[in-house]
Amino acid sequence: MIWRSRLGWMLGCSFLAVAASGCSDAFNAGDLVYIEAPAMTQDLGPTQGNLKDKPRLREKVRAAMKELYGPDPQTIRVPKGMPLSNGGALLASHIEGGKDPGPHPILQVSATPGSAPAPQAGGYAIYRRNCLHCHGVSGAGDGPTAPFMYPTPRDFRPGKFKFTSTPSGRPPHRDDLRRTITYGLDGTSMPAFEPLLTPAEIEEVVDYVMFLSMRGQTELALIDEAATFEEGDAGEALDEETVQSLADSVFKMWRKSQSARLNPKVARTEPTRASILRGRDLFLASDCKDCHGRLAAGDGDSFIDQETFNKIVFGGNPSERARRAEELISRDSKKLWKDDWGNPLRPANLNKPMYKGGRRPIDLYWRIAKGINGAQMPGHYPSPFDDEKTWDIVNFVLALPYEPTLLTDAPQNAPAGTAVADARGR
Amino acid sequence: MRKWSILFAMAAISTVGCFVYSYFDPDWWLPNTARDMHRVVSTFGREIDNLFLIILFVTGGVFIITQVVLVAAMYRFPDRRDEQGRPVRKAVYSHGSQLLELIWTVIPAGILVFIALYQMGTWASIKYRGSAPRVPPLAEITARQFQWVMRYPGPDRKLNTADDLVVIDDLHFVKKQSVLIYLKSADVLHSFYLPQLRIKQDAVPGLTIPVWFDCDEAGEYELVCAELCGWGHYKMRGNVTVHETEKDLRRWIDEKLAEQGRSQLAMIPGSGSEGGDRDD
Ligand code: HEC
Ligand code: HEC
Ligand SMILES: [Cu+2]
Repeated sequence: MIWRSRLGWMLGCSFLAVAASGCSDAFNAGDLVYIEAPAMTQDLGPTQGNLKDKPRLREKVRAAMKELYGPDPQTIRVPKGMPLSNGGALLASHIEGGKDPGPHPILQVSATPGSAPAPQAGGYAIYRRNCLHCHGVSGAGDGPTAPFMYPTPRDFRPGKFKFTSTPSGRPPHRDDLRRTITYGLDGTSMPAFEPLLTPAEIEEVVDYVMFLSMRGQTELALIDEAATFEEGDAGEALDEETVQSLADSVFKMWRKSQSARLNPKVARTEPTRASILRGRDLFLASDCKDCHGRLAAGDGDSFIDQETFNKIVFGGNPSERARRAEELISRDSKKLWKDDWGNPLRPANLNKPMYKGGRRPIDLYWRIAKGINGAQMPGHYPSPFDDEKTWDIVNFVLALPYEPTLLTDAPQNAPAGTAVADARGR
Repeated sequence: MRKWSILFAMAAISTVGCFVYSYFDPDWWLPNTARDMHRVVSTFGREIDNLFLIILFVTGGVFIITQVVLVAAMYRFPDRRDEQGRPVRKAVYSHGSQLLELIWTVIPAGILVFIALYQMGTWASIKYRGSAPRVPPLAEITARQFQWVMRYPGPDRKLNTADDLVVIDDLHFVKKQSVLIYLKSADVLHSFYLPQLRIKQDAVPGLTIPVWFDCDEAGEYELVCAELCGWGHYKMRGNVTVHETEKDLRRWIDEKLAEQGRSQLAMIPGSGSEGGDRDD
């Protein structure tokens, strides 16, 4: 009879093991913490103030951040004047302190058992479920899947976004973020969330991205401000008023962006042969070819060549990229190989009809007119291109993938205008 | 110890019970429309379900027969011991029965041959390129990690020209019409799966694979990836909309094309998102 009781034990134990692993929520709860801006503890060069040797000032910044935005991602605080929908009420499902959030609402994200069922999941929950594994808990682009991606997910904290409709260098319009999240960024790992989230959920997560972004920008501003003080004067640094005014200036920039979209003054020129050829000549006569190359294959002179790029990016341990770049790019060559977030980057190959920021004429107008923030591509409007010229280039860019001969057959150093005359003669 | 036979009988009964129950629960039964869980909405769906049910009944019948025999044998011959704990019955040594073995080899073989022949027509009409409908392709669908890029011919009705409509994860077609798509992959293996229409086809890098199907009821369906293609596989989904008429489909395409051709903000009719700061 011994074997029977042994079997019983084995069965019982495996049942328990399965039950225990299924019930454990150690994986879910845990203490979530925001990671700090690197400038808190490191010297990143002369452009960014740092608190490397200033522990007391560091504590001040930490305290101010806690006061403004809440101590951890699960307890969100929305500072006064933050430009979010409904005063930040879309950020979380369970709001402590009644219906009217007031000036300093504390949004307790973790719904406590017994509390009323949440009307909506809230931006934080949606972010955590759909975005966190790439963009990270703090929006630093450091989620667990991020190291496997090229390009890497966006770090929201510097408040810089590539595909925007606002003036160069400014925060994005809400609709820019909405479009990025709804339709994804073609050709990158950033997925389209249209089939996965409802429009209301997308609004919620847009708010959360804006929250993380403004939070990150405030942190950088506080560090910059604190770095102007000596460690000994820490007592005087960052009083309540200064902190609020630094946060306010971040909010103000975002608020201003919401009414500062660039809307082309004239509608797109018809994509006629003449317009496309004018666009081609402008492409060849301007700085486009320096980056995108004469055949628009993404191999212009301003960027290092593909082979060196591959050696730097893929030729060994990713954490030693900077050292390889140092070795392979001579200091005086001034050639580019990465974007403002420090990620390796190459100009787009315009022979492929793949546009990260969207393929509508207006999207390409924005890219060409005001450049791509942080990605080295400069703006070209109002100078050197006016509206008509910008539309000609847009027409050319849209036609090129289907007509590669446009560039291969282009006359070398064509004086502007001849091609247009040719076209009329044809 | 007769009680063991009861345990095994219960296991067999509850297994059969699950199958019977599933017939009445839309979450358990084959994926069909929400309105009528037993109505299959596509031509291939009916053929495939037919095959599926034949196989289910054959295997179900065999399962029931073998379980009945098994439980009966256990009930009839339980292990019995005398006071000293020694077995009461003597074991019998046997070489088996050739006739029995012949029977249980020939019958399954016959069933397999029957299924193999019976399904050939269905397979041919779904997969043989010769049976593809002679219609212009609705779209070219390129799978990539982790989405479906769908390219519909524009006003010139030709694919891969500058006026194509390109959308992500959004498949639209008209009911009661044969639809032809070209399936591609930009990176790894994916599988184009329309559960309600019972269509599943792997997307293979380097190949352009024609896939055809139809649907006789307008409505919303889903498209999923059915080949584990990476960590984001679970979110590789799409919306499928089946329109009542060709006109509805064209209206959708025209709307999307108008949006794709947008060159100024003001064109958006009634969208509150432009200009002012409507938040806070
Ligand atoms: C699979 C990883 C992944 C997931 C999941 C993901 N993203 Fe991204 N995201 C990226 C990558 C990669 C980029 C940057 C692409 C580039 O730089 O070209 C990006 C960029 C962005 C940008 C910046 C766009 C710009 O104009 O600069 C925003 C905003 C964004 N993601 C929001 C989200 C939100 C919100 C979610 C969740 C609903 C999400 N992402 C989920 C990978 C991901
Ligand atoms: C200083 C270098 C530089 C110059 C000059 C430049 N570009 Fe770019 N461009 C880039 C880089 C880098 C990218 C890729 C950005 C990315 O992938 O994030 C890019 C991307 C693009 C894209 C793709 C946008 C998208 O949504 O994916 C287009 C279109 C484009 N450039 C057109 C032009 C045109 C037209 C000109 C000339 C008016 C021009 N560029 C000048 C560097 C440049
Ligand atoms: Cu897939």
